[in-house]
Amino acid sequence: MATLYQNLQSLVGRRTGVHFDFGQFVRDHVTRAWYLTAWLLFLTYVTVRYTAGQLAAAPLTSGVILAVWVVTVTLVVVGNLTRRHSPGVRWLKNNLYNSITNVQITLLLVLAIVAAMRGFYSYAVVNASFETDPDVAATLAFTGANWGAVIANLRIFAVFRFPAEHAWRIWAILIMLVVLAVPSFYVYRPGFRGRKIIRRILTYVWLLTPIVSYVLLRGVGGEEGTLATINPDRFWGGLLLTVIISVFAIVVSFPLGLLLALGRRSRITGIPAWLIWGVAIVVAAWGLLTSTPENVRAARNTPELLLAYWPLLVLGLAYVFQRTFRGNVVAAFSTLYIEFVRGVPLITVLFMAIILFPIFLPPDVTIASTTRVLWGFALFSAAYLAENVRGGLQAITKGQYEAADSLGLHTFDKYRLIILPQALRAVIPAIVGQFIGLFKDTSLVAIVGLFDILGVANSIASQPQWLGVRSEAYIFVAALYYVGSAAMSSYSRRLEKRLGVGER
Amino acid sequence: MAELAPGAPGRRPPRIPFYRDVRVLGVLAQIGFVVLFVAAAGWFLSNIADNLDKLGGSQFICRDGTSSFRCFFDFLSLESQFPIAETPIEYDPSDSYARAIGVGLLNTVKVSVLGIFLATVLGTLAGIARLSQNWLLRNLAGWYIDIMRNTPLVLQLFFIYFSVLLVLPPIREAIQLLGGPIYLSQRGINLPSLVFTSSFTTWAAFVVLGIIQAQVLWLLLGRREEKTGKPTNRATWAFLSFLLIAGIGWRVATTYANDQGILVAKAARVRELEDVATLMENRLQVDDLSDVEEMVAGGALTAAAVDEAALSLCVLENAPSEANLTAQLRRANVPYRVERFERPDQATAAYAAGECEVYAADRATLAAERELLEDGAGHFIVPIAATPARLSVPRLEGLNFVGGAKLTPEFSAILIGLVLYTGAFIAEIVRAGILAVPRGQTEAARALGLSETQRLRLVVLPQALRVIIPPMTSQYLNLTKNSSLAQVVAFPDLWTVSYTTLNQSGRAIQVMLIVMGSYLAVSLAISALLNWYNQRIALVER
Repeated sequence: MATLYQNLQSLVGRRTGVHFDFGQFVRDHVTRAWYLTAWLLFLTYVTVRYTAGQLAAAPLTSGVILAVWVVTVTLVVVGNLTRRHSPGVRWLKNNLYNSITNVQITLLLVLAIVAAMRGFYSYAVVNASFETDPDVAATLAFTGANWGAVIANLRIFAVFRFPAEHAWRIWAILIMLVVLAVPSFYVYRPGFRGRKIIRRILTYVWLLTPIVSYVLLRGVGGEEGTLATINPDRFWGGLLLTVIISVFAIVVSFPLGLLLALGRRSRITGIPAWLIWGVAIVVAAWGLLTSTPENVRAARNTPELLLAYWPLLVLGLAYVFQRTFRGNVVAAFSTLYIEFVRGVPLITVLFMAIILFPIFLPPDVTIASTTRVLWGFALFSAAYLAENVRGGLQAITKGQYEAADSLGLHTFDKYRLIILPQALRAVIPAIVGQFIGLFKDTSLVAIVGLFDILGVANSIASQPQWLGVRSEAYIFVAALYYVGSAAMSSYSRRLEKRLGVGER
Repeated sequence: MAELAPGAPGRRPPRIPFYRDVRVLGVLAQIGFVVLFVAAAGWFLSNIADNLDKLGGSQFICRDGTSSFRCFFDFLSLESQFPIAETPIEYDPSDSYARAIGVGLLNTVKVSVLGIFLATVLGTLAGIARLSQNWLLRNLAGWYIDIMRNTPLVLQLFFIYFSVLLVLPPIREAIQLLGGPIYLSQRGINLPSLVFTSSFTTWAAFVVLGIIQAQVLWLLLGRREEKTGKPTNRATWAFLSFLLIAGIGWRVATTYANDQGILVAKAARVRELEDVATLMENRLQVDDLSDVEEMVAGGALTAAAVDEAALSLCVLENAPSEANLTAQLRRANVPYRVERFERPDQATAAYAAGECEVYAADRATLAAERELLEDGAGHFIVPIAATPARLSVPRLEGLNFVGGAKLTPEFSAILIGLVLYTGAFIAEIVRAGILAVPRGQTEAARALGLSETQRLRLVVLPQALRVIIPPMTSQYLNLTKNSSLAQVVAFPDLWTVSYTTLNQSGRAIQVMLIVMGSYLAVSLAISALLNWYNQRIALVER
């Protein structure tokens, strides 16, 4: 070792005039601290064992990887010793081999990633079946994925049981969106030179599209005709339902969330204290006189005895209302609503819409459970949106409000023209993030018995011809969700850039 | 104002009539809103009353048969009549609904607390990996975060449960993870666990003492550092002193622990645990028990003969005495087989019938049980040492794993799902927090001559934590609320149990009130706790 080191030293030293001290290198990178030494020993042990295991499992691939690793590490070491780096070696040095730890982690990761990719490739491609006919697929001997089950069910994934004779309605909506999207691309560009009125008309048309789409999807009039009513509980499903829920919840929750946010921040004059106390005292006295004596007599245990004095709670509530909200009903309602909804899981809200809401209605009124779920989503989402918008509102300085007031704008225009554009621009990332969350949360409807894409994926496993096919459907659905979410977040980044968030 | 106002001087400007005063109108509108709200609530309540009549009106029936509003929640004391797969406390279908919901609540707390801890660890590691200098590691962490954040949790749970955990091999072919004593099989995950014996409390007292004394040493050395200006390496000294006291405590607790023992026949001539090894050596005709394995491999002994000679133990289920005794027997290379009994009297009966040679339990139990034996005087209680805690390692015995901790597939699925999902979000928070500390701070710390650890501990971390804590709070809350998705993998958490209760009892309103109230309470508690912590570390502004 010593001779080798001396030879190396003289070689390097003669060529470049660079002095390399091996002892110094070891002191700096290995023995600087005991935990560093221990960590390196452990890492080396893991690397050697894992490499040996991979060499045994897949000799050719692992051997090639190992050889490439040895060569590149040598190149970097030589480059370091001679203080000369070609661009490629410099990149390697900076990104893969910048410490002893990273040299080993790189090898470990490459081996692991390649092994995982080989496994997935053989599962998803080599050993997979793409046969869509279940009878033929049953005769094939394959050990990998059964993509045929997904391909055969693509229509169900897309629109579930939407009647085929009404499929034109979905096409109509898609065509409408495309027809609107193409001019929008030009009209909403920052450099648009046309008339302002075109932009305004297009905006109004866009605002109408949800209503038109709803009419087309739901139908009007009776059971017959071109626009026959379609029962959403039976015929909406698949990707269609996922999109409907997402769009509905976003469109409805946005104005609701704005109102809640403004409501929570409102500082309007509240109900005067004398009125609150007056009503509270009257109610409390009435309760104490009429119900308490009877309940105290009938109480079976301490909690019931305490509950018998409920009228005192009214006084307490009046105090809190007066103290915290200064009698401001709007702020109190918004705050309580937001905190309550944010404190409970979405699944309980959905079950409330499904199970509890019908009990709240008169016995002869029925609302489709899909509709109830849609509203459940919208109301749930509104509370979260309100908090995001409130964050934006808090970022607006007082001067902006005063400037708007001094211009003589009344409240509506003040918010429409001055406050909200700035507030919303500041929280675009948060709002889009929340919409992505909402889009993902639509998968919860699979639990309450609707058939969104996840529900369809689950149902494939119980189709007799594709019994037990699950993973493939899940992977497909995951890919759909990934694409949808990624599209939304990339659009948000573009929007941020265009509106110049964080630049001013 | 007055002199600018038009009109005759001295006349007060006309008062705005109340029906044009914005403030008055606002108040009136609010009163109107309250009236509307109360009316709507009343309408809903009357509808509820109508519907409940149609449902049979049993909602308000008391136990004595009368009907009253007071008995709205009386159903909670009825028999639940459904089983729960995982129960942290004793539970039986004949127990009440209230107890069932309590079991669910405890399960939720268990999943949430474990999940929060593990997700924080994973998220921190992934967040640091995201900033790693290693290009591969950086991108791998990025992919993990991206995939987890862009797909729904429900889908991940379905995938983990149905496509990963349920397709694991059967228990006999269990996968051993990383060559360690961790086994994955269809029936769940088996991990090593710690078993605490009764001497644990003694040791715990020493540990507390050690912590106190380490603190004192830390303070004293710190004072000396300030006085002399010389570094004293106080972290190492404090840690070493803690280790010393904890070590002494371990010795003391082991030496003076004498509450565990084994019951053996006097004829076996076992006076202390070492004699068991001698007994076995005589029985197998070997000089040293450590050679047995080689001899079996070499053919000098048959495996059947070793099995025949193995010491048969009777133990109580879930008692620490088993892990304690078997650990000592394994160290002495004594072959043994174990029979487990639920109650001491069953074990005693088996011991009396000669089904096992040794009966292990705590000495008080053994003494009491010996009295019940016909030839009580012919048996001897040998005390055995008990360290405060023993590692219990799972091993396959027949068709089941014995020892260690067992995580069911349902629990594993919800825990793994929550940790992986929330970990990705926490990783982004940690990354943002670290990036939020300006570079100048690091440079300033280096210029002051702080070491890397000091720089992290004193400069970077306190500033990063300020950015990290608020979003972290909301992630912890999300995790807790998301644990209600345990329903899709059939883990009996609060929501799943409540939903079963709802279906079983038909008390939709009551159950929903209880569930939503519980989640609200838990959410508010977590956010209050973290708000308090946040205030403590918040920047004190000028």
